[in-house]
Amino acid sequence: MNPALSQQLRNLAGLGLGLVAFMFYAVYFSPTQGWVFFFQLTVNGIILGSIYALIALGYSMVYGILKLLNFAHGDVYMIGSFIGFGVLTLLGGPLSPAIPVALLVLCMFVVAMLGSGFLGLAIERFAYRPLRDAPRIAPLISALGVAFFLENSALLLFGSQYRNYDGYDLISYNGIHIGGDSGVFIQYLGVIVIVGAVLLMLALLGLVRWTRLGKAMRAVSFDREGAAMMGIDPDRVIAATFFIGSALAGAAGVMFGLLFSQIYYLIGFLAGLKGFTAAVVGGIGSIPGAMLGGLLVGLIESWAKGYLNGNVSDLVVFGILIGVMLVRPSGLLGTPALQKV
Amino acid sequence: MRKYVVAALAAAGVAALATAAFGSTSSQSRTSAAASPATASVTCGKTRTIGLAAPITGPAAAIGNQQVRWAKYYVKRWNAQKANKNKQIKVVPGDTQLGVDTAFAVKVAKSFASNSKLLGVVGPAGSQEVVASTSSYKGGGLGFVSGSATRTTLTDGHTDGNRRGFFFRTVPNDGAQAPVVANWMTQKLKWKRVYIIDDQETYSQGLADGVQKILAARGVKVTRDSISQTDSDFSSKIAKIPSNTQGIYIPWQLAPQAQGFGQQLQGAGKGHIKLFGSDGLFAPGVWKIAGSYDSAFPYNPKDPIVTSYIKAHKGNGEFFGLPSYVAAQVVVGAVTKACADGKATRAEVRKDIAKTKLKTTILGFPLSFAASGEMRAPATFGVFQIQKNGSFSRIG
Amino acid sequence: MPENAPPTPEPTPPGMQIGVDTWVEQADERRQRRTGVGGRISHLWELLPPAGKLAFLTPAIIVPFLPFMNEANLFNYGVFILIYALLALGLNVVVGFAGLLDLGYVAFFGFGAYIYSFLSGTHHEKGHVYTHHWSAQYSILLAVLICALLGLFLGSSSRRLLGDYLAIVTLFFGQAFVIFTNTTDPYGLTNGSNGLANVDPLNFRAFGQTLTISSVKGYYWFLLGCVVVVLIVLWCIAESRTGRAWKASREDPLAAEMMGMPVNRLKIMAFSFGAAIAGLAGSVFAAAQTGAFPQNFSTQVLILIYAVVILGGTGSLTGMIVGAVAIIVSNQVLDSTSPPNNARVIFYVALIAGIVLTLKPSWRRIAVALVGTAVFGLAVHAIVDAVWSRGTAGQVTSGGFLTGVIRHFVLLPTNPGRLAVYGYLLMIVLIVVLVQLKGWWRVVAYVPTLYLTAFVWENLLIQNPAVTRYVLFGALLIAVMTIRPQGLFGTAKVEIV
Repeated sequence: MNPALSQQLRNLAGLGLGLVAFMFYAVYFSPTQGWVFFFQLTVNGIILGSIYALIALGYSMVYGILKLLNFAHGDVYMIGSFIGFGVLTLLGGPLSPAIPVALLVLCMFVVAMLGSGFLGLAIERFAYRPLRDAPRIAPLISALGVAFFLENSALLLFGSQYRNYDGYDLISYNGIHIGGDSGVFIQYLGVIVIVGAVLLMLALLGLVRWTRLGKAMRAVSFDREGAAMMGIDPDRVIAATFFIGSALAGAAGVMFGLLFSQIYYLIGFLAGLKGFTAAVVGGIGSIPGAMLGGLLVGLIESWAKGYLNGNVSDLVVFGILIGVMLVRPSGLLGTPALQKV
Repeated sequence: MRKYVVAALAAAGVAALATAAFGSTSSQSRTSAAASPATASVTCGKTRTIGLAAPITGPAAAIGNQQVRWAKYYVKRWNAQKANKNKQIKVVPGDTQLGVDTAFAVKVAKSFASNSKLLGVVGPAGSQEVVASTSSYKGGGLGFVSGSATRTTLTDGHTDGNRRGFFFRTVPNDGAQAPVVANWMTQKLKWKRVYIIDDQETYSQGLADGVQKILAARGVKVTRDSISQTDSDFSSKIAKIPSNTQGIYIPWQLAPQAQGFGQQLQGAGKGHIKLFGSDGLFAPGVWKIAGSYDSAFPYNPKDPIVTSYIKAHKGNGEFFGLPSYVAAQVVVGAVTKACADGKATRAEVRKDIAKTKLKTTILGFPLSFAASGEMRAPATFGVFQIQKNGSFSRIG
Repeated sequence: MPENAPPTPEPTPPGMQIGVDTWVEQADERRQRRTGVGGRISHLWELLPPAGKLAFLTPAIIVPFLPFMNEANLFNYGVFILIYALLALGLNVVVGFAGLLDLGYVAFFGFGAYIYSFLSGTHHEKGHVYTHHWSAQYSILLAVLICALLGLFLGSSSRRLLGDYLAIVTLFFGQAFVIFTNTTDPYGLTNGSNGLANVDPLNFRAFGQTLTISSVKGYYWFLLGCVVVVLIVLWCIAESRTGRAWKASREDPLAAEMMGMPVNRLKIMAFSFGAAIAGLAGSVFAAAQTGAFPQNFSTQVLILIYAVVILGGTGSLTGMIVGAVAIIVSNQVLDSTSPPNNARVIFYVALIAGIVLTLKPSWRRIAVALVGTAVFGLAVHAIVDAVWSRGTAGQVTSGGFLTGVIRHFVLLPTNPGRLAVYGYLLMIVLIVVLVQLKGWWRVVAYVPTLYLTAFVWENLLIQNPAVTRYVLFGALLIAVMTIRPQGLFGTAKVEIV
């Protein structure tokens, strides 16, 4: 068996064992509530995790291909969220939509994804392409510059006040009960988020697996110079990667707005940090890893919020992840970096 | 050759620094050579300058800009009056970036202190900013009137340092609000099971502690939890709240967060639990979960000043900034009084601030200061309830 | 800073230098330096690389200006430049010398500040009263030592982790510090979000005498002393065995290990060293601010420190000083308490300089772009004035000597609001288009872009200086990185093939 693969399988097995152990602990020994509570938190975690996973994908894809930490990614997500809000407002707002709600939501997603996609292209063109051969740390700083620029442009353009999607008013306060009225409850909004995220991820997997572009992306990520010699234009592939990653972030931004209502010019920072964490935990550069990592971060956050009092969830998330990093430095599904001599 | 390049670079750098430093305050540095602005007597002329320290950028910008707009609104009204044609007020804003780094508040304080034209200051916003920048304001002899720093220990003269005679606030401290809230919960609403969630900020923790103490003493079952101001997903916190809880006390500062919390509460099927907010959440049109309670100053939303402000700002009351309007009123009044003889010192302005007496304010009560810098007694709180149309109506 | 004057030891052509090893080339020169034992100090100045000379020159030139600076400027420029220079020098050991990406650096700054505040001050917290009034030299020393130990601890994680993985673990360390200090503990050690107030100024007590540093000027001099001492120490270390070993392990850890260097120990040492310097900066900062608050150590501060290090050029000591000057000055000039007209002049000068630089070889094109903009602007102004008089009726925001020019050139609607916002968006689009164009088309595109930029500046950006400063700061970081990725004083990397 391929050693990298068996390592990944072992990681997954370890993770699964850990989760099951935690589940039993939570259900039988936790001072609060029981099964229902646990699964309610899990559902919440999956919803949150889908958003993180979409953000993490952008990080991971860019890293896989350029070995670059795109710190401006969180802000692309923020802009996507604002674009979605703009579409919502233009088409009548949450209380009196001018077109059918399903169509409106679709419009928001499409426009936000396109808008953030093009933003990603522009960022790549201006901030990263000139630095292709620079020392590793230079694009990092230019990414910070982009983050500053985007955040404060948003402050100039959209103002300092919060904007409200009012997603519940737009769609519904209702949801699905599983296991009776006192059972686990999933809002329709949550369903939309999960289904949307899964569809987007499947589309991405299909694209990477079966299309020419996907093949080119994998080739460039494996060996950029080699790919260039085979007639692939790395610049175009990189631009496409940025477009796709940013579009996913834009979709995540709209989901965030629908689900949690209030958006603000600084929401990108924390979300970016969580997405980045998710990407690293899953094994940065690996697409399934980013999805798994996102889900995991969402779950841990949700559980920490539910089982622990006080505002310590971020501390717990980071603490656990440092632990993961120290035990498995290349993440759950990443391939250990081979050192070439 | 290289030496010359280095020398040229060094010279350019130093020149840039020097021009920046001198250029930015060319007029001030001249006077500072003569006498320190702390004690200097300023010729008032037709335009007097005051400082306005508030978080214009950073995570607290949403509430900081409300303060800026309200304070500037007062100055705009003042300047527009015919009688004040020769008593114009100029505002120098300072961005303290609350939530990013208190060092910015100190920088602003230092700039204000050495701006020799500046006679008094509105702000800063956060209690920790007040603590951090007190020594700079005191060093410059400036009086500063905050519209939102509510930590009780700011005025006790020792815990956070002594700033008597310099620091004043036009907002009641946390100690005044907690009993009103607790009384309403136990006496009017007869709540037995209450959930308290603070947002980890000084303001919020102070209020939550105060209310929790009183409720617990009266035998109410209280559960305590926290969120942070950057949180937007409350679903897991909500899952934890038992369905038979009667009320949730949320002494937060960000009304949009309360709105999101209320919506998610409803979305999780727990909409029957009532919310109880604090004055930080008094934001009609932003927080609009019908049936919720809120404790705030006994504002009169029909006051012509308030209605004309709302009209000028696209329907947003931005009530968080109201105390800053009054703070501006206090500072402008004191500066004008000190300037009556054409000259003023900062010490005079401070004395006049301390002696301020306003018969009515838009906060809903008359205002005068005690020696500690707190407002005198009638600073009571009212209790409001949110109506179906999103308006707040006073119920006690 | 002009990008055509890199005062590096070797004038490197743009791009990579293949097959040249400066280290080997300068070997003789270095050997000479070692033998001159007696005249070492007198030769020191001669032997300094130009960059090192500048490092000593810069403070020496700044100092005489001091008496003319008022307290606020001395604090906002002087003290902060020195604090950031100190922080950058420490980070430079980790990032520049040892090549480790440490994103938790700001936590050491915080530890230094908190430890000093705790040991030298009075705090009432949650019913606990802590009154330690330690003499400053002891509390600073202890802060530095504890930070060095914590650096050892954090550095030991670099045994297993490389590159970006190390970066993320250290980033969490920094985040955890802020969250931890923000949360109240039962003993009230950090006092939660209230922070520690009532901190003593620097009281040095020895032999019954007390030297108190409490004025801004005092802090400035003290910090200047710290910076000079740290500079000298670092300069010596950089040239020592350890320093060379750091650089070797930065360039190629594997090769360094093969040569018998204890790479792991070197990394941990670098962490510890950087942390100690940050602890020193933190304790002085706490005294100057008379307090320590969780917010002082947020990621924003880390970003600023990194900006200083990268802008100055990783690995260069001079670069840290110059970087700190550039970053703090550019941040402060655009502050809302500074007169907006300074920012305006700088903005227009920078704009024109940008045009000249991008169109440089052809003076004809520069002239066409500038004259074209002027004519275009006057024409637009005249047309709008005739058609829509409200579009030119606005006031110039606190204009200085440029008021007259702006009035007759830029459109100033009475209520710009939304128009300015659309202008801003359009400006970004135009800039994107402009970069794609070539030759004379680009010159033509310059005309409306420049005019629109002036419009947006006057109607939107200058109204919100506090926000604008960060927009421009972001743009500056991108521009500097694009023009000179190794930073102002950094050396372009030598690739050995």
